[in-house]
Amino acid sequence: MRLVPFIRRVCKPVAVLLSLVICVVGSVHLVGCSTTQKADSARVRLLCSFYPIYIMALNITDGVDGVQLDVMAPNQTGCLHDYQLQTEDMKNLESADGFLINGAGMESFLDKVTQELPELTVVDSSTGIPLIAAGETHSHDHESHEQSEEEEEVNPHLWVSISNCIQQVNNLTEGICQLDPAYADSYRANAQAYTDKLSSLRDEMHAQLDGLPNRDIITFHEAFPYFAEEFDLNIAAVVNREPDSEPSAKELADTILLVRSTNVKALFVEPQYPTTSAEIVANETSAAVYVLDPAVSGDMDKDAYLHTMEQNLQVLRQALA
Amino acid sequence: MQVIYHFLNQLLPFEWAQFDFMKNALLAVLIITPLFGLTGTMIVNNRMSFFSDALGHSALTGIAIGVLLGIDNYMFSMIGFALLFALAISAVIESGTTSADTVIGVFSSAGMALGIVLLSANGGFSKYSNYLIGDILSVRPNELLLLLCIFVVVLAVWVLCFNRLMIASLNADLAASKQVNARLYKNLFVILIALIVAVSIKWVGILIINSLLVLPAAAARNLARSMRSYHGLSVLISLFSGVSGLILSYYMGTAAGGTIVLVAAALFFVAFAWRRLRARA
Repeated sequence: MRLVPFIRRVCKPVAVLLSLVICVVGSVHLVGCSTTQKADSARVRLLCSFYPIYIMALNITDGVDGVQLDVMAPNQTGCLHDYQLQTEDMKNLESADGFLINGAGMESFLDKVTQELPELTVVDSSTGIPLIAAGETHSHDHESHEQSEEEEEVNPHLWVSISNCIQQVNNLTEGICQLDPAYADSYRANAQAYTDKLSSLRDEMHAQLDGLPNRDIITFHEAFPYFAEEFDLNIAAVVNREPDSEPSAKELADTILLVRSTNVKALFVEPQYPTTSAEIVANETSAAVYVLDPAVSGDMDKDAYLHTMEQNLQVLRQALA
Repeated sequence: MQVIYHFLNQLLPFEWAQFDFMKNALLAVLIITPLFGLTGTMIVNNRMSFFSDALGHSALTGIAIGVLLGIDNYMFSMIGFALLFALAISAVIESGTTSADTVIGVFSSAGMALGIVLLSANGGFSKYSNYLIGDILSVRPNELLLLLCIFVVVLAVWVLCFNRLMIASLNADLAASKQVNARLYKNLFVILIALIVAVSIKWVGILIINSLLVLPAAAARNLARSMRSYHGLSVLISLFSGVSGLILSYYMGTAAGGTIVLVAAALFFVAFAWRRLRARA
């Protein structure tokens, strides 16, 4: 007799609880789990730290069977400034055969990774590339400051220069060949094909940009020193070195005065960040705002870097003319 | 706009005043801070400072909804959500089952968390992080016009309904005896605050908007001897900290919003000390 009210009383909270759990779990699935384990069919699993490295690796491993290629940070993250290593990432790393990184300090969490997983093979793509100190716009002669090279913070945005990108592809290829020697020939052939495309793009960009009259530019954020060096552009100022804060009034005023007193015609913003401060400067000067993409986020397509650079070429032709 | 710029140039022959963005920021400060000083008085009186803080936090969800709906101007989704949020909070408080500060705490953290989750879902949170600190320097002429409209609306409501707002906030029974619908006026006030917070959050920032609402009024309360002087002082202190904070931030190279709040906080402690000394004398 009393069973029915009892069941009723129990049923309601249980039903509520169940539906809550279903809701939560369901929405988590909607957002999408990022853990990826090594698939059974995969012979070798390579994990890239972030988007630019992923695009390079995508080209190197193109069409090779049994390679599972993943990227750790979501492709919209952009640069790994302040990236917090999550539990998922460690699990992700644990099951990887090789961790492909940009190097030059981009992966600030790397110490933690190598401490936790000493067995993991890390392939550093920055080997052999002359680095530019953070806050500087040109690489220095090696003699001038060899002593402090170790401690100094360097600018990690290597891949924005096509020459560096080619070097990075070659470094990654060597690393991948050591991890999976049986297919070394395919990797090398792929890398050769990709670097050929890259160098012909570089030649074309040189042909189109070298003759343009305006070489002074101002960038917002620090992604372009390597790019500027490659194409002989002079970065007159970098406003907003820290990506998460807006420049102060003083900084804006100094930039405006600088633009007014020099012949800077182009302000370059990155599509990954807000453009308000650039618009303020453009408003008070004769300079115009252009979007230059450091290829740090975008489609998961193997030609994405090439497309982005072609687009940058068009923007630069307009901006520097 | 050019006329105003020209006028300001004549009036202010200083280094900072030669830049349009500084003039825009100054005009914005001249509109926003009196508004905050005025409404802050009643927030402090009604012990609602935590409530306005929650409203600020809800703005993050408002932005997220705007992003999800694909609206270019997040202002509309922010205002919409802030109104909903404010009325929901006061409805839950009215029901009387949980104490007000708990309800506000729940709503505040839920609003913030929902915003963070939605905005960081595809990894692009850095695009919106400037809403946390705000950027008064990015204010544009047409946005100044919007601020001016809000200013006029709030001022009108204040002038027309102040007594009724006041009595409704003091005591519901007293209000009823005077034929004032307490609930209506309480909600009116809540809507007003939601509107001000949502409109100005882009320039003041989620993290410090509440300090601007509370600090000037709190400082004025230490000094005032009547309702009228309380309001006047609050508006004056608010204006003073806004203008001096903005100019200081220019010369010191600091963030404008934070500097304004620090000036207001310093004024609060001065007022506090003054009151203590006077009480002792």
